[in-house]
Amino acid sequence: MIELTTPFTEEDIAKLKVGDVVSISGYIYTGRDAVLPKIVKHAEEGTLSEVGVDLQGQVIFHTAVSPAGVGPTSSNKLEIESSFEPLSRHGIKMHLGKGAIKPETVKALAENNAVFAVIPPVTALLESQTEERDVVCYPELGMEALHRIKVNKYQAIIAAAKGESIYK
Amino acid sequence: MTDIEEKVCDCLVRAGSTFRGDQKEAYRRAIAKEPGTSSCWVMQQVLDNALVAEKNRGPLCDDTGIPHIFIEVGPNRQVSGNVLAQIHAGIEAGLRKLPGRPMAIMGDDYHRIDQSGGLNPDSGALAPSPILIKPVEEDVLRLTVLMLGGGPAIRGITQRVFHKHSVQVVIDEIVARAIPAVSQLGCSPCTLAVGIGRSQFEATSMMMEAMAKGNYDVQSEFERMITDRVNESNVGALGLGGKTSVLATFAKVGPQRASGVRIVALRPCCCFEPRRATVEL
Repeated sequence: MIELTTPFTEEDIAKLKVGDVVSISGYIYTGRDAVLPKIVKHAEEGTLSEVGVDLQGQVIFHTAVSPAGVGPTSSNKLEIESSFEPLSRHGIKMHLGKGAIKPETVKALAENNAVFAVIPPVTALLESQTEERDVVCYPELGMEALHRIKVNKYQAIIAAAKGESIYK
Repeated sequence: MTDIEEKVCDCLVRAGSTFRGDQKEAYRRAIAKEPGTSSCWVMQQVLDNALVAEKNRGPLCDDTGIPHIFIEVGPNRQVSGNVLAQIHAGIEAGLRKLPGRPMAIMGDDYHRIDQSGGLNPDSGALAPSPILIKPVEEDVLRLTVLMLGGGPAIRGITQRVFHKHSVQVVIDEIVARAIPAVSQLGCSPCTLAVGIGRSQFEATSMMMEAMAKGNYDVQSEFERMITDRVNESNVGALGLGGKTSVLATFAKVGPQRASGVRIVALRPCCCFEPRRATVEL
């Protein structure tokens, strides 16, 4: 088990390989279909600070944040997978979700020294490991707003790194 | 709350938070088959999650699902409009208690289709699906709550099979449909729910009954054949590869039409499903 605390350094990510099980602690972002295209737009326009977002060394967890808890949605949904490349280019180091991603996405991650990690949909366990939940921006999206949560030892498996994928 | 409302409320919370004994054992058997693998790690996480959810009486998954109700009615029991109203009130209370993820889409037909009417923030506002009622010989009024998530609904298929007077042809087609469905689901290992009937409605009703009554410890040859064939695909837990893509198959074969066609409903239930609990009213 590799212990990681956010924000991640370039070295933290460079040493990861497909199949590694990691334990993630610290503040991370959450977002899915509704909000990620908006965050990409802010990143490309250089206006992230206006919505209180700093992507450097960060994790984006593809989940809603609802009274039922958190749990990964499929990362290969169009709006989510298309955020991998631009968000990695703007500082995201780990995309956390589930499901097979395309070869071109795997390549884009490698080019930006970022990784994709799969987290099982274990909401009850994650609930016991989630310490804080705050809406960062787009509160009108409710559970799909961009949230920042503080996590303690979320376990995930590296599914894409260095141009390789766990999905055959 | 009335006695019925309390029982239904508790039943829904159990359905959304608890693995049954046979379900836990199915996971333990699968974990023992491939120690040290990524698939094993995932399945252990799923089992650990179930134990925590049961202890806390909290959701197994953040997609807490849409309530589907299956009722068995004995010869001397009645389901009146008043009983149905109490069942609905119990479901509403259970959704608030679990708590269910707020998923009720507001507005008229157009708003609900394109989701432009917004979400009702009340977990209890989520309407259950139409209720399925079946007469049984046992003198009971027994209710089963099933909580059906969105991922399996996306990958489920209800379609005809031209059987060519061969069970093998039907099995081959079920397997051919199940492998990509399981692979695309993401949240494997699955339990395959299968219903075979004369119409889309009947096949789906059979599939619902299979989900309500299926047991991981009791598998027919028909069910085992499907499970074994799909497991040859090596999809594994969360699609990471491995021996267990499917824990079991729950199948129900209904009456059949004098025809060359069979309607087959197939649902690749996710790693927590069938999320179900039963109570006698």
